[in-house]
Amino acid sequence: MDKILEALSKGIEKSGIGRKRVCLVTDILYDPEVLETLKIDLFHTSRGRTIPFATGMKLANPKLKPVVIMGDMATLGGNHFVHACRRNMDLLVICANHFVYRRVEGESASGDYDTVSYSPYLLFENPLNIPHIARSCGSVYTARWTALHTDELTRSISHGLKKKGLSVIDVISPPAELLDFYYRHSEIRNGEDTIHTGIEEEKKIIVGEFLERERPTFIESYNRQLEEVLGDQFVKIEV
Amino acid sequence: MSGYEACAEGALAAGCGFLGYTPIQPSFGIVRRFITRCAETGATFVQMEDEISSLAAVLGAVWTGRKALTVTSGQGFAQMMEHIGLGVMLETPCVIVNVMHDGASEGIPSMPGGGDVMQARWGSHGDYEIIALAPNSPQEMFDLTVEAFSLSERYRTPVVILFDPVLGRMKDSVNIPEAAKIRVEKRKYYKGPKDGYLPYKYDEKDLIPSMVDISQGYRFHVTGLTHDEKGYPVMNDECQEWNVHRLVNKIRLFADKIVRMEEKYLEEADVAVVSYGVVSRDALTAVEAARKEGIKAGYFRLQTVWPFPEKRIAEIAAGIKRFVVPEINFGQISLEVERCSRGRAGVDAVYHAAREVGKPGSILKAIQKTNK
Repeated sequence: MDKILEALSKGIEKSGIGRKRVCLVTDILYDPEVLETLKIDLFHTSRGRTIPFATGMKLANPKLKPVVIMGDMATLGGNHFVHACRRNMDLLVICANHFVYRRVEGESASGDYDTVSYSPYLLFENPLNIPHIARSCGSVYTARWTALHTDELTRSISHGLKKKGLSVIDVISPPAELLDFYYRHSEIRNGEDTIHTGIEEEKKIIVGEFLERERPTFIESYNRQLEEVLGDQFVKIEV
Repeated sequence: MSGYEACAEGALAAGCGFLGYTPIQPSFGIVRRFITRCAETGATFVQMEDEISSLAAVLGAVWTGRKALTVTSGQGFAQMMEHIGLGVMLETPCVIVNVMHDGASEGIPSMPGGGDVMQARWGSHGDYEIIALAPNSPQEMFDLTVEAFSLSERYRTPVVILFDPVLGRMKDSVNIPEAAKIRVEKRKYYKGPKDGYLPYKYDEKDLIPSMVDISQGYRFHVTGLTHDEKGYPVMNDECQEWNVHRLVNKIRLFADKIVRMEEKYLEEADVAVVSYGVVSRDALTAVEAARKEGIKAGYFRLQTVWPFPEKRIAEIAAGIKRFVVPEINFGQISLEVERCSRGRAGVDAVYHAAREVGKPGSILKAIQKTNK
């Protein structure tokens, strides 16, 4: 089973929030038989547009905790990520980070059917420093693990599910044969300033929990503002 | 009230509980009315970062059980195309209001346009059918918005409402019936056992599968990829036909029930003016002026632009000499009229420029050619 899905399943269990409240929105083509083992509602939507889809769900049913697993946000949907952080929308966003479509022969970590490399000349673009963007745009919890940090990843997912607001977990999930390589070349530095968490050649990948803070969520701000303007007339969104 | 306000009221009257939008003129009149009424109605709204996300949020909201709306114009409508396709494929009922301004591209946002009618039909990639309505007065802005929600629920599809800023700003008295008298089709929900739900198992009678809401314990899977009745992706021809042919047929085979039109003076007419939206108001004036001159002119108005009233246009074509099709574009619906008339009647496409809205002159001139 895909390492992220495995951690998600364990994380939901550990969080105790109940599988009914969780739904998964993803643009990654997972095997639906595998997804079914999560025992939650599942939406495979347009590529890069998972966050706004989940945003609509959250606002229309605030009791839900939608989880988004998205591919490399460096490209499609980066804008939605930035704005979800800004709004502090109550979602858990997991980035299955392949370093911008870097795929090689063999099954990729996401379980993608496509095994052909998009980068025959290998990678020459810089990956995004996702934890740093998340932090600077307003997320309230940010972590990064490789897909082999299973216990840590499970803990972060459990925490993100319980945390109010936008939690972001960057998961280094290269093709299966490279998982171990990235695991060995990572270094845990909890609390590291995200300015230093960029991924660079010949350097260790910094993993850990980088950010934990409180900010009003979108729904809290919405309720506060509309109540201020409309007074008692306004019926608050119940979370 | 204005057309914009009537549209927002129609959505609320139909039970719409969610609005996702990105500010773009000339559509803001609807947003303003909708959100100023949110305290009374309990509707939720969100200003998204772009129109791609506005429609995505709407689709997500619908699966929680709400009815949802997005409003836009021009470039915003162009951005929504991908998610119209996703809405069709996931069979997600929702309403998209597009206030057409003169284009292409940034065009002239304050001027009425009619250039998006083909985009509404064909804008998203792949094969699909869509429903699009074109009101022509503030009263119809209300009525057809209610109807749009009703159709979207009945056929489980996105429904587009096309109008323009002149109709949006137009003020008239609008009769809003009592809530109990407003009829909106109910969403077709699955009622069987929780572990027996198949998201795309459809009823042979209406070709529509039953829905469930998120978080009710059905544990379903849906995808924008070609899928089987379990909602699982299946990448082969047989499934493509099973899936997409039904999506097309669930509207195509029921077109007679969906199509709405208005006709006047068509008995023994020599020329029929086919129009929609704001232009139809000038078309009727022109037809009536021509009749005073002794020209046998008839009036045909599309309330439903899509599906197109193919059969009726073919019948009319058999009895007249020519069609006149005025539009605020250089020929879009005129091509459909030509296709459906199959050479039985001539078709004159008339460019009714935005500045001519309110002036029937160009249409009257085209009608007058009939007797020459």
